[in-house]
Amino acid sequence: MGLISSYNLRSMTVRKGTAAMTAMGIAMVVAVFVMTLAIAQGFRSTLVASGSPDNAIVLRKSATSETVSAVTRQELPLVEALPQIARDADRHPMASPELVVIIALPRTTNDQPANVPARGVGPKAFTIRDRIRFVEGRPLTPGLREINVGRLATQRFKGLTLGSEVRFANANWKVVGVFAADDASFESEVWGDVDLMIPAFQRGEYQSVTVKLTDPSAFESFQAAIAADPRLQLTAQREQDYYAEQSRVMTTVIRVFGTFVTLILSIGAMFGAMNTMYAAVAYRTREIGTLRALGFSQFTIVSAFLAESTALALVGGVVGCLLALPVHGLSTGTTNMASFSEVAFKFRITPALLGAGLVFAALMGAAGGLLPAIRAARIPVARALREI
Amino acid sequence: MKFVGLMLKSARRSKRRTALTVLSVAIAVFLFASLRAVLDGFQAATEASSSTRIVTIRSTSMIFSMPTSHADAIKSVPGVRDLTWANWFGGIYKDPKNFFANIAIEPESYLRIYPEIILTPDEKRAFLDDRTGCIVGEGLARRFGWKVGDRIVLQVGIPVYGTQDYPFVVRGVYRSGGAAVDNQTMMFHWKYVDERSLEKGQIGWFISEIANPDQEAQVSSAIDQKFANSPYETKTDTEKAFQSSFVSMFGNLNLLLGSIALAVVITTLFVAANTMAMSVRERTTEIAVMRTLGFQQHTIFALIAGEGLTMATLGGALGAVLARLLVNGRNLGAGGFIPDFGVSATNVTIGIALGAFIGLVAGIIPATMAARLKIVDALRRVA
Repeated sequence: MGLISSYNLRSMTVRKGTAAMTAMGIAMVVAVFVMTLAIAQGFRSTLVASGSPDNAIVLRKSATSETVSAVTRQELPLVEALPQIARDADRHPMASPELVVIIALPRTTNDQPANVPARGVGPKAFTIRDRIRFVEGRPLTPGLREINVGRLATQRFKGLTLGSEVRFANANWKVVGVFAADDASFESEVWGDVDLMIPAFQRGEYQSVTVKLTDPSAFESFQAAIAADPRLQLTAQREQDYYAEQSRVMTTVIRVFGTFVTLILSIGAMFGAMNTMYAAVAYRTREIGTLRALGFSQFTIVSAFLAESTALALVGGVVGCLLALPVHGLSTGTTNMASFSEVAFKFRITPALLGAGLVFAALMGAAGGLLPAIRAARIPVARALREI
Repeated sequence: MKFVGLMLKSARRSKRRTALTVLSVAIAVFLFASLRAVLDGFQAATEASSSTRIVTIRSTSMIFSMPTSHADAIKSVPGVRDLTWANWFGGIYKDPKNFFANIAIEPESYLRIYPEIILTPDEKRAFLDDRTGCIVGEGLARRFGWKVGDRIVLQVGIPVYGTQDYPFVVRGVYRSGGAAVDNQTMMFHWKYVDERSLEKGQIGWFISEIANPDQEAQVSSAIDQKFANSPYETKTDTEKAFQSSFVSMFGNLNLLLGSIALAVVITTLFVAANTMAMSVRERTTEIAVMRTLGFQQHTIFALIAGEGLTMATLGGALGAVLARLLVNGRNLGAGGFIPDFGVSATNVTIGIALGAFIGLVAGIIPATMAARLKIVDALRRVA
């Protein structure tokens, strides 16, 4: 096996031009594959990063997202009184009643209005979401028309820089702070005081309550307590599960699209690999005959040629991954259909994704090389030796 | 022209290789034409918007509604000829996964302002007469197998519409007479929904028909002026701007699909150029013999380049036709996320041209190689 594989690998380098072109074809396919999946990956992790393991979100029963949920003012103190909720030094519950609406703000790139989520939050919101750090300014003061803006939102939408006034819901709101949240979807949002935003948007109630639990394991009893209380028409979900669910539709659409395009494209690249390997087999007919005459079995010949085309494809795969790498961290945005608002996210290339790209390349090589390899093994020895 | 026979003969020399090359070009052009069709679908929806229709929404965001009293105020603005309104219902059919647009409309005026919604006179009368009636787009009807007379129940998606399910009866399946109206929407009586809604008299957006398209800007600002500093400020814009705000929601679609299309073309270029080079190398001795017999350099060049061109154009035609057959007539609207699209004759032409382009570029290097061959060296070479 050692001899035969070194023979095949060395033969590959003899015809550099052809081998390089085939590898480049495969590289392009792998690059497209990795890039489209990096979009799905980035979008998903942006939303999942919004959840934290010891937080829970309380929504109306059967509500699929915050926008279609409702929590009444009577329900809030009942939820806040539950013992599973963590308390701060002054024994206040770590709970934030919230409202998410959509406001239209012009994009920096093309001035077109975009749907920006505006979140009304309770005073505890910043301590509950422990990922939130202030990059500039300070948290908003409850009771004042002040807003805090996510870092990505200040870049993507006009007029959200520190100190500027934004007009929405018939009032002017002053930007007093810019926060970062480890690339979570909150960074695309505008936050204000929930008790000012409810009347400003002519709403009557909250939409959700986000709470910090005393411990992640307290979730089950918290969920049971809410379900058991007949006064509450609510259900609790782990914050992480909720955000993962919010990203599901969009991630699936991107994944299906990416896979569809790359699959079709890979067939083309596979044909290329097939051509190259058929030619390689044809050129080396005499050599193959010699090998067979020396006693190498048909099986060895097949696996050697398969190994050759797989190696060729893997080289392409590595090049493709390298081609795709620069997009990592590029930030872009799309509308999340689950919330109807824009979410900024970054392309994310993970080691697993690169691994998948390489496996995909190897598969293309193996599939493209199979028929030529079988052909190589089937050549009658006597005829092959006679060939010039 | 007398060399065409020779060219075809050499293309048939290795049938398998020729077939693989033709197929890989075909696949590339197939992908390219389909991607273009999706982009065109988006563009068409924007371009085909009428210039006499303007849309008024709440200035904060279109998710907020306006009171019915706005209707009379807008009608009184000079230049407004006709007015209708609609509201997003956001109902769920069996499962949230079955997403499609369903809106409550003021039926008579809506059908008047949107002549693109094509119904038979009988269907139209039946829809107008039945308060629980609805009309559905052709594509949507195909997706769920709905027929006229079917009962459809939508669950409430937005809390303001109460908690009870809404039953509807299909009174018509409409055809879309222009890209401004897609065939993936369900429409029903605004009054029926309003009766059961917890907040009465709420309207999502108004569509006004203006008498003179040149006055669009004046009429729009006159409408917005009427509601300035009221609790329900508005923003009026052309239908085109309204539509393109939906398209831009997807992010930079042009760039994404464009770069994929580019990658497709480059991949195929590699594959095709590789094959051509291979076949030239195989024929080295043959070409040397032809040169010895007196074939000119440029004839050899034309022969090889022509062979590549023929194969790739054939592949291009195959892919483009395949795209037209497979993509068209299929319901690939992705559940209303993207507008209905089809591969147009232009896209087929562009696809074939792209195939020819690939063949030409891929053939240049091998053809130059062949034409520049040193006869003596080539004849001396074995295999």
